[in-house]
Amino acid sequence: MSMSNKNDVAPRAARDRLREERAREAARSRRVRQLSVVGGVLAVLVAAVVIGILVQSSRSTGYDAAKDAPAATVGSSRLLIPVGAANASAPLMTVYEDPRCPACGEFEKAFHTTVNSLVAQKKLRIQYHVVSFIDRHTGGTGSRNAADALACAQNAGLFHDYHDVLYANQPDETASTWNDKSVLLGLAKQVPGLDTPAFRGCVNDSGFGNWVSAVQKDFDKSGFESTPTVLLNGVSAYPTYKGEDISPANFQKWVDALDKG
Amino acid sequence: MAVHEASRTGTEPTPTPGPRSGSPRSGPRVRAAWVSTVVRLGLAVVWAWAGLAKIGDPAAAEQAVRAYRILPESLVPAFGFGLPFLELGLAVLLVAGLGTRIAAGLSALLLLVYIGSIASVWARGISIDCGCFGGGGAVAASHTEYWQEILRDCGFLVLSAWLLWRPQSVLAADGLLSVGGAETRQSPRTSG
Repeated sequence: MSMSNKNDVAPRAARDRLREERAREAARSRRVRQLSVVGGVLAVLVAAVVIGILVQSSRSTGYDAAKDAPAATVGSSRLLIPVGAANASAPLMTVYEDPRCPACGEFEKAFHTTVNSLVAQKKLRIQYHVVSFIDRHTGGTGSRNAADALACAQNAGLFHDYHDVLYANQPDETASTWNDKSVLLGLAKQVPGLDTPAFRGCVNDSGFGNWVSAVQKDFDKSGFESTPTVLLNGVSAYPTYKGEDISPANFQKWVDALDKG
Repeated sequence: MAVHEASRTGTEPTPTPGPRSGSPRSGPRVRAAWVSTVVRLGLAVVWAWAGLAKIGDPAAAEQAVRAYRILPESLVPAFGFGLPFLELGLAVLLVAGLGTRIAAGLSALLLLVYIGSIASVWARGISIDCGCFGGGGAVAASHTEYWQEILRDCGFLVLSAWLLWRPQSVLAADGLLSVGGAETRQSPRTSG
């Protein structure tokens, strides 16, 4: 290039023009590079987001009530486990419980005797939502493992007994005890007839994993935010029912009143 | 910014505007480039951590978004599923040092959205975990940490602002492409 020749006697104006031309050329190619980087960056991000949405939606769908729900579950998507009197006129208690939730453990400790006796007298029906969100906050897989084991027990027709055994033996919320499925299988030995090869296989394979996810998703969308959430004929009953504190005696009274009404 | 790049193409000084003082191999500009490198990688780690913590459980990520009660239900899954990948995308760009200034600008924008959302939840008296690094959803009112979450995000915002101001860094793809500046020429020992 002529620019390398220092002895060039080209008129000053021509040299300046050339210099400007070079500067413009450099600026232009820099702009092109910058624009292609902008384009590249946006392409990377858009691709990441689109792929992410596609992958995650495919991972999070796929619940099919007909093949994923345990036997004898109820509700439009068969996400609820029914316990107690078949007669639809009996008062209905709806319970959302996470197996790892300490407040649920407290509720069960205080109320399971009253509740079970009302169920035995056919005065009360229950629908359980077995939710499993503690794992999200606390880490581990204890909630999901236990929820899945409860579904396996429901499939064997022994949900309620196993449910009571699990809450009676609930580990500390932060403990990882139920990450180990063999602990859940060990507790199943306390329920006569539950510890079968089919049940063990079901627990070990997380046989109702899709259902457990679907139940949790249903809870996510329910607007209820904590467990236990307890409803009596659709009205919140925990920790208070129509302004009255819950207690075994009061609970009995409320159910009796609804039963007569 | 382009002065060093231009000067390597010929022996003659060019009229390209830009800071020209100081030796290219030392001084405040090089120090700033190193600071920017640390900031860039630090912000990348933040985004990578935030993104990775959320992709394991899509339902939890979805619920974390839902709990803010800002978006209509029809948009909740897209944001719950997409945001972690946007964060990972930003992390990848920042690690590579590709389009650092744009990545920093988008980081700042995203952080402002996050800070605004947390403030909005706080103002409305909703009790949630921000779900910033996984988790999320409703928590007991006594377990909310809005101020710590906002303060933390503001810290990340400062990192993004630094990179917006000083995107040139060493060990960056921008340097190889000569877009952000002349860092490859400034520190050939480290960026080669």
